[in-house]
Amino acid sequence: MTDNYKESTTPPEGYDPLREQMLDFHVEEDLAKVIDSDDKNFILTTVDQLFNWARLSSVWPVTFGLACCAIEMMAASATRYDIDRFGAGAFRATPRQADLMIVSGTVTAKMATRLRRIYDQMPEPKWVVAMGSCAIGGGPYFKYGYHVVKGVDYLVPVDVFIPGCPPRPEVLLDGLMRLQDKIRGRKGKSKPPVWVRDYAGKIPYVKR
Amino acid sequence: MEALKIHELLKERFADAVGEFNDGLEKGSTIEAGSIAEVAEFMRNDETLSFDLLMCLTGVDWDGYDENGKGKSVAILGYDENGEPEQSDRVAEGDFGVLYSLYSYKHGHKFTLTVRVTRQEASVPTVGSVWPTANWHEREAYDLVGINFAGHPNLCRILLDDEWEGHPLRKDYVMPGTWLGVPMNGQPLATSPFSEDDVKLPGGES
Repeated sequence: MTDNYKESTTPPEGYDPLREQMLDFHVEEDLAKVIDSDDKNFILTTVDQLFNWARLSSVWPVTFGLACCAIEMMAASATRYDIDRFGAGAFRATPRQADLMIVSGTVTAKMATRLRRIYDQMPEPKWVVAMGSCAIGGGPYFKYGYHVVKGVDYLVPVDVFIPGCPPRPEVLLDGLMRLQDKIRGRKGKSKPPVWVRDYAGKIPYVKR
Repeated sequence: MEALKIHELLKERFADAVGEFNDGLEKGSTIEAGSIAEVAEFMRNDETLSFDLLMCLTGVDWDGYDENGKGKSVAILGYDENGEPEQSDRVAEGDFGVLYSLYSYKHGHKFTLTVRVTRQEASVPTVGSVWPTANWHEREAYDLVGINFAGHPNLCRILLDDEWEGHPLRKDYVMPGTWLGVPMNGQPLATSPFSEDDVKLPGGES
């Protein structure tokens, strides 16, 4: 998003540039536009960068597969795509050693409590990737699925949504890189997680 | 042995308990609900039949089907545009059915037993003592369709949660609005677990 856009055209009804920016940031430069970092001193920001580099280079996912998306997740961790190139190949058998939960598949009502428990057992900082249509919003089970939670962000705060049914391993790798961009832009201590569904409506319109 | 011959054998042995022959993709005969256990035991033990495998046990809700098995248009209930569970004025009144798909390893023939029970008295004797496979299959039919299997050692839900209300594969099942506080209809949450002060810019100061 550039400044030209705001000056030259009138935004459509309900359009919120700040909200759009926050929901659509991809790289560190985009984040830098949103976050004013002038109040940080040089040493603290450098240490932050070091910590974030360490975190994004070893995002360990928890071994957690729910449906057919898990097959693509396994393919992404196998030799052809090799998610370990990006530091996320160490699938831990316990949530207590993991940083990332890839919700790969349909979240049923019976699984919902288990999923939340696994999330609660993970140490901070932790991230969640919603992989596939079912985890994002119920997918094909949206209207007639009596047992499907229509989106995993009802249960846990989600950092990256990866659409697809199921997404190919390349897309999972791309989602992981978007997550790494997000970690790279982190500043300061651990933040309370944000629930996108509630948060999208609450951001005020800011004229700049 | 051909299915029609098996049907005639059963008719000869059990007379009134055996109904008509079902000719179709899955050939078999209709059995009266009360005598399914002894028919099953006979079919397993008889030398010429020896149905030693229960391939599948299926519970069916036949509401919306006429006598000839032709389907009428019955709306399956889902969520409407506002996300509210759809309610129907029509009262479901069709029968329930239990289908036993049998196979014999010894002779290599198949047969399907069909049991029809009314919606009000949906109870069938268990065949778990004949084929142990039936134990979990009957629990599934109880869980999703709500058919009671008399004499079952542990008739409880197998797929859905223990506290689940209703039997989802019934034609008159109404979708749940929420489950453990989580909306099941795709609507926004009424209350956020975080206060508005927590909602900050990503990466901003907390």
